[in-house]
Amino acid sequence: MTLVGVANLAVNGLVEGAVIALPALALTLVMSIARFPNAATGDLMTLGAYVAVGVQALLVGSAFGTPLLGMTLATVAAVIVCAVVSVAAYELIFRRLGRAAMVASLLASIGLAFLIRSLITLVIGHEQHTFALPLVRAWNFGGLRILPSDLVIGAVALVVLAAVFAWLRFGRSGRLLRAVADNPDLARLSGIRAQRLMWLLWALAGVLSAIGGVLLGVKSVVMPELGWELLLPAFAAMILGGIGSPAGAVIGALLMGVGQELSVPLVGPTYKIAVAFGVLFVVLLLRPAGLFGRPELAR
Amino acid sequence: MAVTRRELIATPLAAALASALPASVLAQAGEPLRVGALNPITGAGSPYGPGMQRAILMAIEEVNAAGGAGGRRLEAFAEDTQTKPDAAVLAAKKLIDVNKVQAILGTWSSGVTLAVMPLTDEANLIQMNVSGAPAISTQDKKDLVWRYQATNDRFGAAFAEIAAKRGYKRPATMAFNNASGIGNTEGFRKAWEKRGGKVVASVVYEPSRPSYRSELQKILAEKPDVIVTGSYLPDTTIIIREWFQSGDKNAWIIPGWAANPDLVKALGAEACEGLISVDTVSAENSAAFKHFDAMYTKAMGRPASTNVYAPMAYDMLITLALAMEAAGPGATVAQINARIRDIANPPGTAVATFAEGKAALAKKQKINYEGASSKLDFDQYGDVSPDFGVYVIEKGQLVRRDVVPIPADYRP
Repeated sequence: MTLVGVANLAVNGLVEGAVIALPALALTLVMSIARFPNAATGDLMTLGAYVAVGVQALLVGSAFGTPLLGMTLATVAAVIVCAVVSVAAYELIFRRLGRAAMVASLLASIGLAFLIRSLITLVIGHEQHTFALPLVRAWNFGGLRILPSDLVIGAVALVVLAAVFAWLRFGRSGRLLRAVADNPDLARLSGIRAQRLMWLLWALAGVLSAIGGVLLGVKSVVMPELGWELLLPAFAAMILGGIGSPAGAVIGALLMGVGQELSVPLVGPTYKIAVAFGVLFVVLLLRPAGLFGRPELAR
Repeated sequence: MAVTRRELIATPLAAALASALPASVLAQAGEPLRVGALNPITGAGSPYGPGMQRAILMAIEEVNAAGGAGGRRLEAFAEDTQTKPDAAVLAAKKLIDVNKVQAILGTWSSGVTLAVMPLTDEANLIQMNVSGAPAISTQDKKDLVWRYQATNDRFGAAFAEIAAKRGYKRPATMAFNNASGIGNTEGFRKAWEKRGGKVVASVVYEPSRPSYRSELQKILAEKPDVIVTGSYLPDTTIIIREWFQSGDKNAWIIPGWAANPDLVKALGAEACEGLISVDTVSAENSAAFKHFDAMYTKAMGRPASTNVYAPMAYDMLITLALAMEAAGPGATVAQINARIRDIANPPGTAVATFAEGKAALAKKQKINYEGASSKLDFDQYGDVSPDFGVYVIEKGQLVRRDVVPIPADYRP
């Protein structure tokens, strides 16, 4: 395999990693504050993709149906629906289970995942849907082929991630959120009102899932299992980066994506997924808390 | 060829009506023979399953109207496989344990057929399918399984014939990682190497990936002039989109269940231009096909040529009924099963409908049912050898350009 070939594989991995980074970040934020792995994250992505595909299909042919405007409006609709569903799930389910063991919330989230997927299958059916976007040929830089669609997907993912990080670091509510994640009791003693923050957290998880779902749907085809199939890689990315570390989740996702694609010339595409999990295995042997994790959350 | 929700509901309803026919029809002596119509009403097979189920029910009506078979009438119980092995196993268990069926007809995907076969074998029931996996032939130890579609090996041989005819020299293969996907590309490789050719690159890829660019890159690095696939619609959609965007120019040979109008709908005419789609074709010039086509068009509002699996499903019930008639009144399932080759294979008087066959059998003639789907000459494995249609996607339409027969005695 030539150097250009390897670079092409790395680009594929980066794009795939960037898409996985969004749900991985949602998972790790919920994990660090609500303290359970939210298995409904993947199906919330699916819901976002379906909302966006539906809205875009409605807009096609109208003045709002151009690729850029149509996709923007479709994504906004997906973001709103997923944020509302996510906050509602918190109010109706996870808030009530807050005092119970972590496994109760985990099981409830698996149930919610099945519910979302079954409702989508029941109402819309199992046939595949695709976004109506023009197919644009790749740009060729001396053999390094970049798909414009991949560039847009990667750019959107990076902008969203950057915005979330900036908010966590500099925004007032973002800082409060980190305070609650760090030490909930101390945060409450300092007079931080947790309720509004929890709404914010769940809305943010919904927004990240929605955008992740739309990007994934643009890249592949929209089917009921779309997000569920990506849940395991997102979990793995969260664990690799260190549970509760937002930056770790993103770097973990990118590492797994690139590692997986770069292994193709060595082990072939059938086993590349095993390689990604092999990387996870080795990292956990060396650093049980993950790359950027704090040991107390890993336990 | 979208199937509306209403049609999905109507199909089981028709089955319920068929089994609730007034007692006057029950004039024939003997217990009715109960048939399970186990078809992909939802899931990946949903473009075909409702038409298959309707075809089975239509055939039952036809046989019952002709006075039944072997002195018995037939009764249908319809179920949905959801094109999923787990759902299909539950449905098959229900058909066997609750409805006490004696035959299960019309499973579509190989995964489903391979999952249902152990149940029908255990209960000594007749199983009829349209799946491709070569393993179905060898796992059928009791000779109770009948396949109305070509095996993946034969698909592969047809792919090789088409690639050779069109002058391709450097084929590569891409296979979805399951029995059917790998069956297609392995069948191609065996047939191609038999011709003295060489496959320049091959990958087996995992289902449900967000992208197949790395897989494509590995294949395209060897500069193939044609890529042969064993694939399904969702993965083919992603692969062809990424291939088209990469700007490569090689040809594609893709099975008909993946390169179909839904693929054109998803990607647009430009990306699909020139793709070669291969599927078996019904015996469109046979009297049986014309007979079935008229009924099917009336019932479904579109010709039988839109669903290659519907004539197969129809033929399943007609061969079963003719075998019942040949086995005579009071025959067991094993006795009926033993007559299937007798009534379908040459020599014998060629017959095109159940009524014709019944009349000839009454005159003690040996008959040879020439089906709507193919000539239906079952080999030692219970497999048939339909012809293959070669379709090229031109301006968004699948246009048939050629028909390729593969000899009945072809072995890889």
